Amino acid sequence: MTGLPDHARPILQPILQVENLTKRFPSVLALDNVSMDVKRGEIHCLLGENGAGKSTLSETIYGTYLPDSGKIFFRGAPVEIMSPKDAIAAGISIVHQHFVLVPPLTVLENVILGTQKSGLYMDLKYARERLNELSRNYGVALNLDARVWHLSVGEQQWVEIFKALYIGVDLLILDEPTAVLTPQQSERLFSVIKQMRDEGLAIIFITHKLKEVKAVSDRVTVLRKGKKIATVNTKDVSKQELANMMVGRDVVFTIERQDMPPGEVVFEANNLRALNFHGEEGLRGVSFDVREKEVLGLAGVSGNGQKLLFDVIVGQEKPTEGSLKLAGRDITNTTTSKRMKLGLSSIPEDRIKEGLVMDFMVEENLILGFQRREPFAKGKTLVNQKAIRKFSKKSIEDFDIATPSSKQISKKLSGGNLQKLILAREFSQETKFLIAGQPTRGLDVGSTEYVRRRILEQKRKGAGVLLISEDLDEILNLSDRIAVIFKGELMDIIDVNEADIEQLGLLMAGIQKGEEV
Amino acid sequence: MIRIFGYSLEKKPTTSPIMEFVAVLIALLIAFGVSALLIASAGANVAEAFRSLLRGSFGSRSAIAETIIQGTPLILTGLAVTVAFRGQLWNIGAEGQFFAGAMASYLVATSLPELSRVPMVLTIFLAALIAGGVLGAIPAILKVRFGASEVIVTVMLNFVVLFFLSYLLSGPWQDPMSAFLQTSRITETARVSRIITGTRIHIGIIIALISVVVVWFLLFKTTLGYEIRAYGINPIASKYKGIPPLRTIVLTLAISGAIAALAGAGEVVGLHGRLRLDISTGFGFTGIIVALLGRLHPFLVVAAALFMGALWNGSLAMQITTGVPIALAYVIRGVVLVALLAAETLTHYRIRRVCDE
Ligand SMILES: Nc1ncnc2c1ncn2[C@@H]1O[C@H](COP(=O)(O)OP(=O)(O)O)[C@@H](O)[C@H]1O
Ligand SMILES: [Mg+2]
Repeated sequence: MTGLPDHARPILQPILQVENLTKRFPSVLALDNVSMDVKRGEIHCLLGENGAGKSTLSETIYGTYLPDSGKIFFRGAPVEIMSPKDAIAAGISIVHQHFVLVPPLTVLENVILGTQKSGLYMDLKYARERLNELSRNYGVALNLDARVWHLSVGEQQWVEIFKALYIGVDLLILDEPTAVLTPQQSERLFSVIKQMRDEGLAIIFITHKLKEVKAVSDRVTVLRKGKKIATVNTKDVSKQELANMMVGRDVVFTIERQDMPPGEVVFEANNLRALNFHGEEGLRGVSFDVREKEVLGLAGVSGNGQKLLFDVIVGQEKPTEGSLKLAGRDITNTTTSKRMKLGLSSIPEDRIKEGLVMDFMVEENLILGFQRREPFAKGKTLVNQKAIRKFSKKSIEDFDIATPSSKQISKKLSGGNLQKLILAREFSQETKFLIAGQPTRGLDVGSTEYVRRRILEQKRKGAGVLLISEDLDEILNLSDRIAVIFKGELMDIIDVNEADIEQLGLLMAGIQKGEEV
Repeated sequence: MIRIFGYSLEKKPTTSPIMEFVAVLIALLIAFGVSALLIASAGANVAEAFRSLLRGSFGSRSAIAETIIQGTPLILTGLAVTVAFRGQLWNIGAEGQFFAGAMASYLVATSLPELSRVPMVLTIFLAALIAGGVLGAIPAILKVRFGASEVIVTVMLNFVVLFFLSYLLSGPWQDPMSAFLQTSRITETARVSRIITGTRIHIGIIIALISVVVVWFLLFKTTLGYEIRAYGINPIASKYKGIPPLRTIVLTLAISGAIAALAGAGEVVGLHGRLRLDISTGFGFTGIIVALLGRLHPFLVVAAALFMGALWNGSLAMQITTGVPIALAYVIRGVVLVALLAAETLTHYRIRRVCDE
């Protein structure tokens, strides 16, 4: 803990008060009569599952959305925040969940862009001095002349934060800032925002991770399905209590991984190199193998080549060098559908874009990729409606997919049910090797549990699994071995029993064992 | 999101079929409203103009027959566009493909004159299918291999085909007995016209109705149709699940071209008996409107095609009785298309009050 102990900080009037805020989107009531307040010198966590309304609440405070009803008071007076401009003028700033930087511009230019009061003339000198002062104050090194697209996601986040500080804020909102950070980077962020708090800023810190709530906040407001459940002092509640509030029922925390002797090698990647979207080498000599009855976890901060690796393995990108073997066969140059026939199942990271045809009925999506196989097709050319219907009834039941019927249009399903649909489809064939990209990202706790259990079930049945995830807890809970990827290279592959978070975090930041931090 | 005076225009996640139907109705009403204004501004009596429009399209047995005749090629071009659009492939080349089919028919009829009727007609339609299929496949291959937009390639191919035909009609294929740009009549064994006595209804309507069922079957009962639809809605997911883009795109556009070519063959074999540039009144382009009006569904396409056929014939009658120029039919078609596209977009939005002030 930095700064003053809790009791020594002055108790102040709330700087922000939100009263009975309601915001409806076409399909959901995102905020339902939510009231809360934030004080100066406080870090106030907004905790809730995905879709709980955290981003909506903060974007409404910031003026991105207009509320349907409700009032906002700032510094004790009612304010009409009609747009982000009003919010900035009042002293409210936000670091969005999805950054809004301009990649080709430098850090300095990005900070100035949109923050200068008026006119074309940019006072670069003043801005440079002020930013240097800020970065000295918080001990964060920031290369002002670097182009933003050269920066890591973690660094980009600092740019966003400094942009907010540069404008001058009294209330800073951080929307899931740790989603893109290694554990060590998160720690660093925590200490910086605590320093800001001690200097009198009010901070709203959004997260869905309980650990972070406990680590950083003074008070926490829990949201669930657009409703405020409670606001409590952080030190008065346990993680379990918070979890129950967040989910609305008792939560089982971990799923037990079973140690079992692995079988034959089922998948091999040898010295894979491939070019990414920008034409840069996104994979730089990646080698690993996966055995039957084994989960290999691939940890890493997003954007280090995971997606490219996924695409190369399923056959959507060609490696420039290296080879792939599936079930003893060289598949380096085979098509996606051939790989699927050899027993490759895949759960893509972006399930809506890459995994589903959202305007298709549930039953149609359940056979995507298998449409030419028995029994869904008669002799490859004709659709076998009966078999499809039967299969989809069974899948909906077996995988507990919440849908009124197999003819429902898929886009009406929730994220969790869409993921279950994909699992049902992928596991309908005998899976020899499963590659799962961020399989629980964006899912509620219940679905997350379910998806993890199903993945482990495939392992028990004999499949080899490559689990790509940014969630270290997930990796540690499910994997037998853990590989860490950084800038397109595997830093190391370690046995889960020898792994600890600290070490993984360092590897994720590209720091080898024994190296200076 | 657009926001005016406390009201906002928001995107809706889904629309109901009823809303879509209402949207089409409103679009048609708007189109007729605009047409009425145009007729009035042309100095004609609006009521009388509409009366003659109705009489010309459905007013008598022969008017109905002519509407069917006019609608026949539109069913086929509408189906052609439907198949392509279902696969998100914007085939604007149905006009050229129509003429490819017509040219193939003429070529078969003149180069194999010894064939008797049944093999002759079968060969003609087969040749048309191939010609249209090949013409359709060209933009598909260019798209997959070089990333060329099928919109531009199909539009350009229209010109290629039409200019080539103009050349043939003014030289090698020109009827030596005529000063017009037209071929001589094809042999009688290559004709199947007047299948219902007292009307000019011809074999084309049979081909068209068979095609409707075939296209419906293709789209909804075959694995290829499934792949076309999947690819059309989400090409990325389709690729990730192993549906090969080359095969899907080539087959989609080839089938689309082949169907459009059937329309051309039908007009030659069934109606005109010879090749001229004006055997199409823009059937390929009107096919786009027909397909959209028919919500890209084969059965609704029939209704849409007959509607557009009726509109054409009605406008002809209107021209004769009221002097409103036939060009107005083109205008109405254009207005229908624009109104339809606007309605289509608007059904995906809704207007809501956002702030109680
Ligand atoms: N711009 C939007 N349009 C429509 N629905 C939205 C929009 N933004 C969020 N939602 C919906 O509102 C709900 C709350 O979303 P959000 O505030 O992003 O949740 P959180 O940040 O807690 O994950 C979700 O159901 C989401 O789908
Ligand atoms: Mg959010």
